[in-house]
Amino acid sequence: MDYRFNLAKRMLFNKRGSLIGAVLAVSIGILVINVNFVIFQGIYDAIIRDMSDYRFGDIYVYNDESSTIEKSDIVFINWFERMPNVEAATPRLEGSATAETRILGQAHEKFNVPVLGVDPISDIRTSRIHETVGEGQYVYSRNSIVVGESVASDLGGCSQDGFFMSGGTDPTVTGGKAISECQPVRVGDSVKLIITDQWGIDQKKRFVVTGISGTAGGQGFDRSVIIHIDTLRDMLDRSGESRSIMVRLQESTNAYEAAQIKNQFLAAFPNDNLKAETIEESAESTLSGFRSGIAMINLIGYFGMGSSAFAILTIQMMLVNSKTREIGIMRAIGARRKDILIIFIMQGMIIGAMGAGAGTALGLGYTTYAKITNMEFQGSLALEVNYNWQKIGETAFLAFILAMIASIYPSYRATKKQPVEAMRSV
Amino acid sequence: MQLENLTKIYGEAETKVTALDDVSFSVKKGEFVLIVGRSGSGKSTLLNMIGLLDKPTRGSVSIDGFATTNLTDNEISAFRNKKLGFVFQFANLLADLTVLENVLLPSQIPLDPSIPFANAKKILEKVGLEDQLYKRANKISGGQAQRAAIARGLVNNPTIVLADEPTGNLDSVTAQNIVQLMKKMAKELNQTFIVVTHERRQFGDVDRIITVKDGHVFEGEHVEQMEVTI
Repeated sequence: MDYRFNLAKRMLFNKRGSLIGAVLAVSIGILVINVNFVIFQGIYDAIIRDMSDYRFGDIYVYNDESSTIEKSDIVFINWFERMPNVEAATPRLEGSATAETRILGQAHEKFNVPVLGVDPISDIRTSRIHETVGEGQYVYSRNSIVVGESVASDLGGCSQDGFFMSGGTDPTVTGGKAISECQPVRVGDSVKLIITDQWGIDQKKRFVVTGISGTAGGQGFDRSVIIHIDTLRDMLDRSGESRSIMVRLQESTNAYEAAQIKNQFLAAFPNDNLKAETIEESAESTLSGFRSGIAMINLIGYFGMGSSAFAILTIQMMLVNSKTREIGIMRAIGARRKDILIIFIMQGMIIGAMGAGAGTALGLGYTTYAKITNMEFQGSLALEVNYNWQKIGETAFLAFILAMIASIYPSYRATKKQPVEAMRSV
Repeated sequence: MQLENLTKIYGEAETKVTALDDVSFSVKKGEFVLIVGRSGSGKSTLLNMIGLLDKPTRGSVSIDGFATTNLTDNEISAFRNKKLGFVFQFANLLADLTVLENVLLPSQIPLDPSIPFANAKKILEKVGLEDQLYKRANKISGGQAQRAAIARGLVNNPTIVLADEPTGNLDSVTAQNIVQLMKKMAKELNQTFIVVTHERRQFGDVDRIITVKDGHVFEGEHVEQMEVTI
């Protein structure tokens, strides 16, 4: 082993307090960046995941010039499902309705709500919205309705002297009634939807609530109602039309392959005014601001790492000062300035390597904990935690380089000491 | 070793102090030379000049017929490493290393693996530290540390070993042992020793004595110096 490395190691390890301080400075810097990444990238990825799972799939097709796709969805779905990387595809139709509830025989509440029409058979294969039905079950017949949690709450009410009081379950609206006295719409209740069709005529239909849908973070259809797509088509008088086609790819499919499938689809239907987007493109407008936020938070993390570098610089300056006599002895017995420089830079490298190792281990520990526990904050959406090995490696490498750079000035100062003067130091 | 017109002046104008003034003398191979003088007479400055630890204002130092005046910093370091061995008053071992590692250090600095590990062990045996090889340098006594320092000074077979008050920090019995050890090494290895001391009597008979007084050197023991040391 090079004597300089041996000496650097011994000098450092015999100053345990300084070593621990410097290693902690580096590792905490890395940990902060890792924690930031897990939380903010986790939220970002979770939003994309939920948007993909509930609304857009991996590829989202819609009409660029009209509110609906007039050609039969079967043509498109068959095209997609012939592609080797496609898991499933499903049509969706959207509209809006006035919802009315009757509880205990009394007309109770009236709301305007967005309505989503789904094909229950293919939708279950394509999206995960059916998994958000916590109570009851998903749309299974033409007169069943799944009500979003918020809508259910808004359509509910509180009992007062044997009568129901409208205003949802919010006690501030219902005159200070305790939440225990209020109840939302439940499975088995009936809801009447009034939808204005494309000719301006109101179409009314009564539905039985078969399920209540709720998602952590409200990324699903908590503020909508979901009915059978054919029922919605009938009510809108838009037979065979869809608003969009949602496509689910197989899990192994990467972003490049998704873009290729999208392009092939657009090339196959050039005259239908269709637009197709991958999930990254669909989520772009929603998440562009969020990405700036992540960049800002990461910047704070990197400032933290810069502070660690200052801590190392200070600790290294202290180490150099405490080793002045040793530097003088080394110089007297023939060590060159370069050798002294290398010894102290090696100390920086040892600190950097240990700090990077410890910080990465702590960061990985936190990441694993977040992944195993499906970490979420106050009932919000569960973080989508991934091991980004490139990012982990880059952070560790950056910390190592910073520790080394922070050692250069103290090391340079060490080389400037004259042997005779240095040896006089106690 | 040859010194020619060596002069060292510290400071400028009113603060100017001439530590060495036009000093010239030579030392032959194998000589055991004592440099004596009062505190502040310039003897440590002289040793620093010979050891190339400080640069003279004027004059030159030649060792093994090689003039050192125009050497670069790296060349001076290499020269010190190969041609000179140092023994200091406080041993000045590196506390972070073991006794053996301290002794090996001068031979490791040129990153030359040809110098055998066994050489360091042999010298440590000669100075009586064969059972202390793996002890940390700060865990041995003052006498043992000074023995290790002598071993370190000898490990590269230098042209000259320079010792600055090597017994100054030791009790009289240990100091006597160290003096005997240095004399023994000088004799066995035909090694040149230049020793700065103000404890003239501890060294008994030596090949040569040089007295430094007010920056000038005199061959032999100066009377005033003897009065101080008696």
